[in-house]
Formats: sequence, structure tokens, C-alpha cells
Amino acid sequence: MKPSYQLISPTLGELVWNEEPSDELLSIQFAYLTFVQTNFSTTILEVRQGFTRLSLVWKNLASQQEFVKLVDTLDLRPEPLPEKVWQVPVCYQPEYGQDLDDFVKSKNLSVAEVIQLHTQALYRIHFFGFLPGFFYLNGLSPKLHLPRKSVPSLAVPSGSVAIGGKQTGIYPMQSPGGWHSIGRSPLPFFDPNQTPPVWAKPGEQIQFVSITASQFENWEDEDRKNFLK
Amino acid sequence: MSTNLGKAQLLRCPQGTSLQDAGRALGSNYGIPRSGAMDLHSYHWANHLLKNTSQAVALELVQPGLKIKFEAPCRIALAGAASSVTVNQVVISNPSLLALDAGDLLEIGAFLTGARLYLCIEGGFQVEKYLGSGSDFVAITGTATRTTGEYLHYLPIQPKSVLQAKPKWATDWFELEAIHAYPGPDWALLSAHQQRILLDQPVHLSKLSNRMGIQLEELLTNELEDLPTNPVFPGTVQLTPGGKIIILMRDAGVTGGYPRILQLSEDAQSRLAQKKVGDSIRFQLLPTP
Repeated sequence: MKPSYQLISPTLGELVWNEEPSDELLSIQFAYLTFVQTNFSTTILEVRQGFTRLSLVWKNLASQQEFVKLVDTLDLRPEPLPEKVWQVPVCYQPEYGQDLDDFVKSKNLSVAEVIQLHTQALYRIHFFGFLPGFFYLNGLSPKLHLPRKSVPSLAVPSGSVAIGGKQTGIYPMQSPGGWHSIGRSPLPFFDPNQTPPVWAKPGEQIQFVSITASQFENWEDEDRKNFLK
Repeated sequence: MSTNLGKAQLLRCPQGTSLQDAGRALGSNYGIPRSGAMDLHSYHWANHLLKNTSQAVALELVQPGLKIKFEAPCRIALAGAASSVTVNQVVISNPSLLALDAGDLLEIGAFLTGARLYLCIEGGFQVEKYLGSGSDFVAITGTATRTTGEYLHYLPIQPKSVLQAKPKWATDWFELEAIHAYPGPDWALLSAHQQRILLDQPVHLSKLSNRMGIQLEELLTNELEDLPTNPVFPGTVQLTPGGKIIILMRDAGVTGGYPRILQLSEDAQSRLAQKKVGDSIRFQLLPTP
């Protein structure tokens, strides 16, 4: 899993992998991330993670060229991924997941089967993107894959748990969106008044836990402690 | 805010007016867009006149009609769109750098050329910074824009001093059509024919243009599939399956799944930020460094 390096602009380039996103690839990406941050801390301005790329923003072309000279000689060991698993409560009911009914029809599954498939998997957090605090997760069962909606919704409520293509995710705030909402979580996913503003880190895992409408409605900040621990 | 700060009231605040600096580079770890001035060239030029730091918070105007009353002496600099400017209803012929007195009323009239005007103030407007930046972004600052009636705060200076310097702001650099861009990470996925179409003809800014991105009127037919979600930056040009060409700007999300066909140079991003809906641009390819 040795990456190639693609220069884009004098100050931007990326490490390129052509594998499917996986835990193994993420471990290697972390190794490169750590290497760059440790050895180029004075000339690297920003590192951005994607599923199959690691983008590097450099101070100038000379510092980028330093790295280019070195990159092919690197042989980094994969970095172990964290073992932390976060439990995320979700109410899977049509009042909370506005597309749940359409989703089960499209997939020819029952609501119970969708809940079972969606809650039994562990999902790996690869990075944040799209919106502040939006997890990019890997691990959705192929039985739940469904192409994104042809017409996006104008306002998907905050906390909505949704499926788009091969991915599942949670809207940390109200936003337009093209994924199918199948439920909603009462947890906060992004809070700029906290440092850091998110409670999970790339590499950690999450598991969805089904809750009832009454648990959702009577959700107190206290309950948060039972999940985010 | 401390009572020792100077205050300025936005007596009339046109839609889309926001506070911006050079942006928050460290937010991308949490999915927070970079934000910051759309035209960094103009923003830095005006800040430089005031000897400000490179993160001093300025007002970014996207429409004429600002009326702002300063309650304490200050020095301000204007750059970006050229506009008619008055102080206490007297027209200022060269409004690049101005010393204002307590009670002065500044008005920004019609934009003669350009789309965004920067009002920088000595010391910068004083706002709470988040991840090193005071740029407005709704998920961070609770508001994307400023509103009529509100007060902005700044560091007061000694009573009005005479300005020696008479710098002249020029706008010819952004009136050119050329938008320079490097081949993007996915440029090679385009056919030679598609690459030629994109580079040969003028294209136009559509109404779907804001701080997140600028969509072009023209479509580029393609059969490309969505790719794994990967990083995008201000200046990344995305091509959607429907053929839409979207140039991502300062408030764009930090990752995207559409092919990334071009990456605008820094100067091209500033120039593009001064283009209006309907204006034509021409992509010019720069060699990969």
C-alpha cells in the first residue's frame, strides 16, 4: 500500500492510493499523517484526510519538493487504529427519519430488518467533511446501499441519520442533503463552544443503538453520559 | 466587549455583508470550512496599508449601500470593488486610505467595477476568534452575515491625524478574463476533447454563486462516476455527473466526491471573487509545478 504523490499547485499536493477505503488503508494513512506532522512540522501548513487521499498544504514549493524527493524511499508501518467504540442512540421511526418508509420499500426490507442491519455493524470514522462534525463512516452493509435521492431535501433536520450510496452518516446540523433519512439521534455532534468541537476522533468506531420515540422525546443531557463514555 | 473599544454602528447594512479575515486553516480536522475573504489579494492590500496583522478582521461587502457611523477616531482602508464613497456626504476621490473622526458617517455607493469590497480598519474589528479566525460562518459564529443596526468594535486611535500616504487602488488586474488553474487531481479522467472544450471557450458565472461556490452557466457533458470522498480546497473545480462545473470558494465543505478537474491559483481565486453574475471567464492551464 505504498502511495504515489501528485503535485497539484506550488503549495498543494496529495498522497494517492487507489485501493478501496478500508481499515488497512486508514492505518497506512495515519502512518503518513504522523510522519509528515512529525518531520515537516515547520513547513506543512495543513493535512486533510480523504478516503483514498491525504492532501498536504505546504508553505512553499521548495518545502513540497523536499518531500517529493523523500516520499518514494519511505516504508512506513501501519499505525494501529484506536479501539474506542462510541454508542450513538437513534430513533428509527418515520416521524424522525422522513425517508424511512420510502427506504424500506425501495430495499424491499421491513423496518425491523433495516434497524437490525444498521445497528449490528461497527462503523469506522475516517474523517470529518461535508459539514462541520459530519463523520465519513466506512462499514455500511451492502444490503442497505441505495443511490442518493435525485432531488435533495432542502432541510434535513439536525441529528438525522441517513444513507446515501454506500455510506451512512449523521447530519450534525440542519442542512440541505441528498441522503435518505432513516432516523434521528438526540446527541449533539458539533458544538463550537467545546474544545474540540466534536467528541470522536478519526479511527474510532461508532455503533448505532435503537431507541424509542419516548426515549428520544424525554432525552436529557444527563442521558448523554450513558452513551458518550 | 470592553467599554474602551471604539464603536461603529451599521446604520444600513446591505445583504450578504460579513466579517472576514484570512480564514481558519485549522478547522478542516473537524470538517470546518476555511472561510475568510473571498478576494484575499484586496483584503491583504488594504490591511497592509494599515500595518495590520494578516488576520485583522474586515468587512466584506457584496452589494453597495453601506452606511456606517464611527463613534471614535479611526483609520480605515478600502480595496476590492471600486465604488463611490462619501464621508459626511462629501465625495472622496481616492478612498483607499482614510482617517475618520468621531461621528463621521461613511457611505459606500454603487460598485463601478468588481463584486466585493473590503473595509479594513486599523487593528481590525474586534470579535471573538475561533480556531484563530473571526470570520463569520453560521455553524461557528451563529451568523453568516451582519445586520442593520448592530455595532462593530475596534481599537480607537488618537484623534484624527493627517495622512501622508495617498495610495491608489487599481482594479485592472481583476478585469481580465483569464482564470489560471493547475490540472486538478482528476484532470486526467477527462478526455482530450473535454479538456479542450473547457480551456478554449469563455464560460460565464451563473446566479448560483455564493461564498461556498460559483457554478458556471455552461455544462460539460461527461460520463464520469462519483469518486471516493476526498479533500477539496478553495479554488477546486468540481464536475458533477450532470455536467455542472462548480468552482469551490471559501465556505465550501472540506471534502467532496465529484471529480476535481482543476485547481485555481491563489491570484485566480481573488480575481474570480471580483466577477459578477453573467461575467465571462476563460480558464488558462498552468503547468503542474
